[in-house]
Amino acid sequence: MNAVKNILNVLVSVAGVLLVWLTLTTWTGIIEPNRFPNPMEFWVSLKQIALQGYGNGKLHQHILQSVILVTTSFLVASTAGVTLGLLMGASRRIEAFVNPVFLTLRPIPPLAWIPLAIVWLGLDNSAKVMVIFVAAFVPSVINSYAAVRSIETPILEASAMLGIRRWLHWKEVLIPASLPLIFTGLRLSLQASWTTLVAAELIGALLGLGSILNQAAQDIYPAMILVGMFSVAVSGWLMTVLLGVIERRAMPWRASP
Amino acid sequence: MNGLRELSRRQWLVLTLLGASTFLGLWYFLAFIGVTPQKFLPTPLDVVQRFFTLSTEPFVGMTLFGHLASSFHRFLSGFGLAVAIGVPLGLLMATSKVVDRIVTPLFESIRFVAPIAWIPFAALWFGTGMGGPVLIIFMGAFPPVLINTYRGSKYVDVKYLEAAWTLGASRFRVMTEVLMPAAVPSIVAGLRVSAGLGWQSLVGAELIAASSGVGYMMVKGQQSIDTSTVMSGMLAIGLVGLLIDILLRKLQERVSQC
Amino acid sequence: MANISFNAVERVFHQGDKEIVAVGGVTLEVADREFVAIVGPSGCGKTTCLRMAAGLEKPTHGTVSVGGVPVTAPGPDRSVVFQQFALFPWKTVTQNIEFGLRSLNIDAKTRAERVKHYIEFMGLAGYEQGFPHQLSGGMQQRVAIARAYVLDPKVLLMDEPFGALDAQTRVVMQEELVRLARKHPRTVLFITHAVEEAVYLADRVVVMTRRPGLIKEIVDIKSIRERERWDQVERIEDVMDQPSFVGLRSHIWRLLREQHAGDPQ
Repeated sequence: MNAVKNILNVLVSVAGVLLVWLTLTTWTGIIEPNRFPNPMEFWVSLKQIALQGYGNGKLHQHILQSVILVTTSFLVASTAGVTLGLLMGASRRIEAFVNPVFLTLRPIPPLAWIPLAIVWLGLDNSAKVMVIFVAAFVPSVINSYAAVRSIETPILEASAMLGIRRWLHWKEVLIPASLPLIFTGLRLSLQASWTTLVAAELIGALLGLGSILNQAAQDIYPAMILVGMFSVAVSGWLMTVLLGVIERRAMPWRASP
Repeated sequence: MNGLRELSRRQWLVLTLLGASTFLGLWYFLAFIGVTPQKFLPTPLDVVQRFFTLSTEPFVGMTLFGHLASSFHRFLSGFGLAVAIGVPLGLLMATSKVVDRIVTPLFESIRFVAPIAWIPFAALWFGTGMGGPVLIIFMGAFPPVLINTYRGSKYVDVKYLEAAWTLGASRFRVMTEVLMPAAVPSIVAGLRVSAGLGWQSLVGAELIAASSGVGYMMVKGQQSIDTSTVMSGMLAIGLVGLLIDILLRKLQERVSQC
Repeated sequence: MANISFNAVERVFHQGDKEIVAVGGVTLEVADREFVAIVGPSGCGKTTCLRMAAGLEKPTHGTVSVGGVPVTAPGPDRSVVFQQFALFPWKTVTQNIEFGLRSLNIDAKTRAERVKHYIEFMGLAGYEQGFPHQLSGGMQQRVAIARAYVLDPKVLLMDEPFGALDAQTRVVMQEELVRLARKHPRTVLFITHAVEEAVYLADRVVVMTRRPGLIKEIVDIKSIRERERWDQVERIEDVMDQPSFVGLRSHIWRLLREQHAGDPQ
């Protein structure tokens, strides 16, 4: 019953948004066509890029380019980040050693690395990978660190009392206990990665969702801009959902949020 | 280790210095042996020198502080707008089902769009005016403020609401004297996140569609392969961002005294 | 001042497909300035009855009226004192007490006087600028009572107000409440688990059954209290030692016990 209700709710909401959109554009013309597209123009552009292509490729090619880039960078960055975060959390020595560098670099927004990345690596994919890496790395470290530090002392004491070896302690106690916050960090990392990629592609890319936006802006093609934004939003949302699915399967002992 | 071994003050100091010097040492090493041409990787000292030079001599129109002021002004406008709209709207949504049902779908459809993705429209609508960056910053800063205000007021302990109702408070008084104070911790937490996102969005906006500001300064530096300038810009952005966060954290601490 | 009338009041909840009858059918008259306590096992619907009188919940059938007017919404004429105090943590003691007053058309001077009167009467002098978290449980409940009383309500509704207090504070508060009720009498509906508390405070004690909540018996205390002259006795412990008190208490306990024995659940 609840599932049906939910779907109905979503449908009603979507219908509502469509109505508002139609009203403001086609039916009343409050919003001029050269400022924001109406649903029909949007649909036409969507078909165009999906079937014929726009800006060096068809829609699925753009999506694939962006998603693959983001996913690979994100995986590498978050693995490194989670590892470092767990180590920093588990050892005050490592924490003290790494902190000066980490705390200095942390306040710098990922996007601020773009000019540097371009200087060092030019305008191709490696520069984007570098920036996405920075974007995804930091939240993973912070949250994994917090995850370890927030493990309740009784649990650590129980493990110590049982006298298990360090390797097992990590595998069976530390990491599972840290998983919830680790996943929070992963979610943030993914969001940051995605945002950074779009920005990087906006600045200089031949293929990818950001490049659609760039091209459409230059062509002054509002409907395509909207298609680009829409694709960005949907792809981002889907990846987040996927991460959520992985999260639930990784932690079956958790009650549904 | 199965527990956390505490460090003595001396150990901590030694390790921290070790970490800092390792990092700087590595940097110097890479810069000196010329793994990359001088311009690509300046030494830390070069960067610091450049930072101070920029503070006094104008670069692409203004000194560093001039650019920072320009950036901060935009940030404040976008952030201020996000708060001015987000807090009352969040409170209203929490109290009125009607408003909630109207706003939620509109909000949810926009929320997932990365702020940066608004740049094309911002450029289209505002040209090179200030409206462009402010729009981007607003798009970044608005969601956390709205969400946190909404959640903070919606999930207020029912007993406070019931107490207020039985004491005869009007709807307006309930909203301003019960919901809002109860939601303040959540709102301030949202402000912190919001400021961070807003500052980040600012950087992005200035990289692409601005003619002043720290982001613009960095782009110009990048175009002339002036890495010291780029790094100085990064440093400045990091410092200001840190400052904003520290201020809001202080606010958060004061507020949670309730 | 006013009376409370419960007229064949029923309250039914729906939980999924199940129907839960919280209050089965209650008809009760609380006379003007009468102090009535309701006791009963958990789930007997006594709190629900109070909440319906307060206007926080609506009866499924029947009506609750105060002073002849059916109750539709909460209001300051029926002040509530909650078990969890429900003081606003971000307001000072004074601000809490005057909260309800500010919605009434009273000028600032009169308001300040009334607040001052109750602060002194409830022994809160010196704590005017304090915040709830700085006060003990007993003090907080005093503030809550002051906050409700200062509105000069027709009816005072108290939902296990001393339930969250420790045993000693509880006894002190009971004495305070008696003192307050003698000085500023009003219609009171008082919910409690503690039989002794009910017998000590009330004019009549209503014993309710567990779900579906129905009135089992109404025990008259007042006549016995006046006949035996309990108010001539100084301390609460001595009152509770009186044979007449013990007799009433045992009677009510037995009524409650009967419901537990032979209970299939």
